[in-house]
Amino acid sequence: MTTLIIGFLLIAMLVGLVLLGLQIAYALFAVGFLGIWIIRDNSGLAFKMLELTAYSGIADYLFATIPLFVLMGLLVSVSNVGRDTFEVAEELLRRVLCGLGVATVAANTIFAAVTGVSIASAAVFTRVAVPEMTRHGYRPAFAAGTVAGSSVLGMLIPPSLLLIIYGVLAEVSIGGMFIAGLIPGLLLAIGFVVMLMGVSVAFPAFVYTDPAAARAKRLDRTGPEMSAGTMFAKLIPIILLVILVLGGLYSGFFTPTEAGGIGAFGALVIALWRRSLGGGKMWQVMKQTGAISVAILVLLIAASYYSRMLSIAGLPNAIADLVRSGGFSPLGFLFFYSVIILAMGMILDSTSILLIMVPIAAPIAQGLGIDLSHFGIITVLAVEIGLLTPPFGISVFTVHNTLNDPDVTVEQIFAATLPFIGVMLVVLLIVALLPATATALL
Amino acid sequence: QDTVTVNIGSSHPEANIWVYAMKNTFQPEVDRILAEKGDYKVEWNESYGGTLYKFTDTRAAVSDGIVDVGMVGTVWEGAAMPLQNVTYFTPFATEDHKLLIKIFDDLSANLPALHDSWTAQNMVPLSSLITDSYDIYANFPINTMEDLQNRKLNAPGTSANWLQGTGATPVDGALTTYYTNIQTGVTEGTLSFASGILPTRVYEVAPDLTRVGLGSMYFGAIAANKDFYDGLPAEVQDAFMAAAKATSTAHGDYVTELATKAMAEMQAAGLQVHELAPEEKAKWIANLPDIVAPWLEQTGEDGKAVLAAYFQALRDNGVTPGRDWDVNR
Amino acid sequence: MNDGLPHDGAGPFHDTVRAMAEDIEIRADTGTLPAFATAPIGFALGSVANLFSAIGTIWIGLMMVMIVLDVIGRNFFNAPITGVAEIAGRSVVAIVFLQIAAAVMQGRLTRADFLIRRIGSASPGAARLLDSLFLLVGALVFALILWASWPNTIKAFETSEFFGVQGVFTIPTLPFRAITVLGCAVALLACLYRAAMTWRAPGGAA
Ligand code: NA
Ligand code: NA
Repeated sequence: MTTLIIGFLLIAMLVGLVLLGLQIAYALFAVGFLGIWIIRDNSGLAFKMLELTAYSGIADYLFATIPLFVLMGLLVSVSNVGRDTFEVAEELLRRVLCGLGVATVAANTIFAAVTGVSIASAAVFTRVAVPEMTRHGYRPAFAAGTVAGSSVLGMLIPPSLLLIIYGVLAEVSIGGMFIAGLIPGLLLAIGFVVMLMGVSVAFPAFVYTDPAAARAKRLDRTGPEMSAGTMFAKLIPIILLVILVLGGLYSGFFTPTEAGGIGAFGALVIALWRRSLGGGKMWQVMKQTGAISVAILVLLIAASYYSRMLSIAGLPNAIADLVRSGGFSPLGFLFFYSVIILAMGMILDSTSILLIMVPIAAPIAQGLGIDLSHFGIITVLAVEIGLLTPPFGISVFTVHNTLNDPDVTVEQIFAATLPFIGVMLVVLLIVALLPATATALL
Repeated sequence: QDTVTVNIGSSHPEANIWVYAMKNTFQPEVDRILAEKGDYKVEWNESYGGTLYKFTDTRAAVSDGIVDVGMVGTVWEGAAMPLQNVTYFTPFATEDHKLLIKIFDDLSANLPALHDSWTAQNMVPLSSLITDSYDIYANFPINTMEDLQNRKLNAPGTSANWLQGTGATPVDGALTTYYTNIQTGVTEGTLSFASGILPTRVYEVAPDLTRVGLGSMYFGAIAANKDFYDGLPAEVQDAFMAAAKATSTAHGDYVTELATKAMAEMQAAGLQVHELAPEEKAKWIANLPDIVAPWLEQTGEDGKAVLAAYFQALRDNGVTPGRDWDVNR
Repeated sequence: MNDGLPHDGAGPFHDTVRAMAEDIEIRADTGTLPAFATAPIGFALGSVANLFSAIGTIWIGLMMVMIVLDVIGRNFFNAPITGVAEIAGRSVVAIVFLQIAAAVMQGRLTRADFLIRRIGSASPGAARLLDSLFLLVGALVFALILWASWPNTIKAFETSEFFGVQGVFTIPTLPFRAITVLGCAVALLACLYRAAMTWRAPGGAA
């Protein structure tokens, strides 16, 4: 039996254990350990690899930004900045089909300009949007799916941890990657809006618990109107935060990596200014930050260990050989590459996928004449779909975890994000066919 | 014919200056030499490009046997292998990177302190790895040392020491962050070397290169895990050592080729090259505090021996170091 | 998602205050600590886990402060903090291993639970058995990491290993390595304790 076949058996084993309900981090560690032991016939090596991965697998400034972006998200949440943003969007979009869904996407798009990780968006808008949508007659699972689906905007609209990691791996300007992400990010947001409207017309039962009531509410013109002044007042904090983060980034006061720390600090100032942190709430926010972050970070360590096992099994080399021997045209290569990333996205975390694939694929792409910024956006789009696909879909997990509602199951949320995955695939196709979507602003 | 399986890998991709010769010279040379006799054949198990371990773990990866042969960046091992970093604490020594390879191939094999430090880490050094000379790539030229006052320059790790006494502020970073740092104004330039800087396109945002001649640096070595190496048949060991020699030559040539190509391409793209006047360079060197002192304190007698041997070798090869870091130790 | 212990209060560790208040309150995180009188081991383990977690929580705040001070120092006083990148990188690992035991005690590690919930409604005993087994796998994983990390922790102590650059900044690695070992040790005990509690839990898994 070749090591590659063992590798595929170990992937199957991982999927089986995860589906059965074993904690994903445990499954990745245990199968990874077993895999290295079997493939190299050396348990000592499995131990040493485990030590290396535990000690330095995520020992990187980049990963230190994850808890900071989460902290920023929770501070924005506790100081009601997220809710205010959402309310303004809701007010402006109340007559629109699937208005609250569209409002969630709109608020997420704005929030994406300050956060660099999707889980922060997912955590904030689970708190903000899901209760509101549920109150207005949307299915809770659909609401949760909408939040999970639109949270991916956080990783495409700058700043973005994934674009930073890609830039580092492919040796492409990170500032350039941020600019390249703008149009595809907006395309994605527009795609989500169109899709939400379409689905609410075509499959109202998928969207609403009571479609008729929701329709009545939308057409009801009697409700109180929010004045322009109120709207502006509600938006000031998020505007200030966007100015702080993007302004500071592009004027050189801090680096993309530092944006998490600065953004969290800015959110802290806003929360203090709004007097939202009294009564021990500061400590609660901090504790929640730790709780959400550790669940993500331990997965990153475990996934990194597992992906190293796959590397020992020869998977990256096999993929590289396959691509090189395939004689692909640029588009054929992009298609093949996207399919591989989508498959990996089902079982691995975003960072591990980038680590495995970018060093293999970027030189090939360059050789085929594909612009590396364009290639990066395709990569990140494909990787982000993995945030939503089972069995390992971290955005969905975050929403489910934060919502903590026994009536909304994971599989319901996964189902509700399916249309979002559809839109992402369409945008992926558009970006692949039209490189200008990524490179026009460069 | 017996087959020997060799796990070979690196934290950096195959095209990297420190990995290139490993993949493109060491492996084929071993194959070629062994094929001549026909007794053994190597099956290479490649893990290049950091899919197995990160750059922070290049020493652990080889000494723990995660790979049998790997690129070891001693520059990142200031705690475990400080002796190897002597060049980083003695800047302005030599800009001749090929000479540095020759000196360190010799010292690593024959200077007991240096050789033992590899053995202590369960490794056998095969072929030295270096950088070409460090200069300053910035968005301003340096005509006098005054020009460095209050400037922010990317100078990660040990290179931060080189800016002591210049009035410039060292800012952390890596090859991959320089471009964005300079573009956005986080920094105004960086200390770097031609063969490394080209792919980052830093010259687009830092169009002024000032040749200051900080010198070539010893980066690390291609090394074999000692347990693995000791278990190899003598014939394969010999093939490794012969291939290592060829690898050293190829590495030196490759760095020269890349640096030359880099300069040509960067200048074609608009890079302006300035020379720091000798009297200004002398000021810089004279103003540097005794940056080798903390290193000597850490490394003790072994450090003294390595420093003395390194500077002796420089002088034996006709080099006059910019500062006699070894005198009165 | 939650592991092991159910949501409905069958176990003593879950959040007792689950309902979200009307205006986006942060969920109160109380009731994670069992009483000393009824469960002395659980109380002790929970206390240690909470203490570790609190240190990790404060650490996140300090990391933010460090980054802000570095940015301000660099831009306005030509005085950056040296080694922020390395310190932040090491910190994030420390934060994980400080928080991990509490995450285990509170059943907060991510899992896909749709199948096990089906199993639980068909046969509560089977689900309980599976959950206990899963916690034992967790214990095994933490034992492996502990065992793997131990030698280098000792070595770090013996050789005064540091990270950073001689003459620029140096920080000993021992505290960081020790946190990995201690964090895994408490998480290992937490897994074993919860496995026992889950197995004994009356009335099935959900
Ligand atoms: Na973003
Ligand atoms: Na997935």
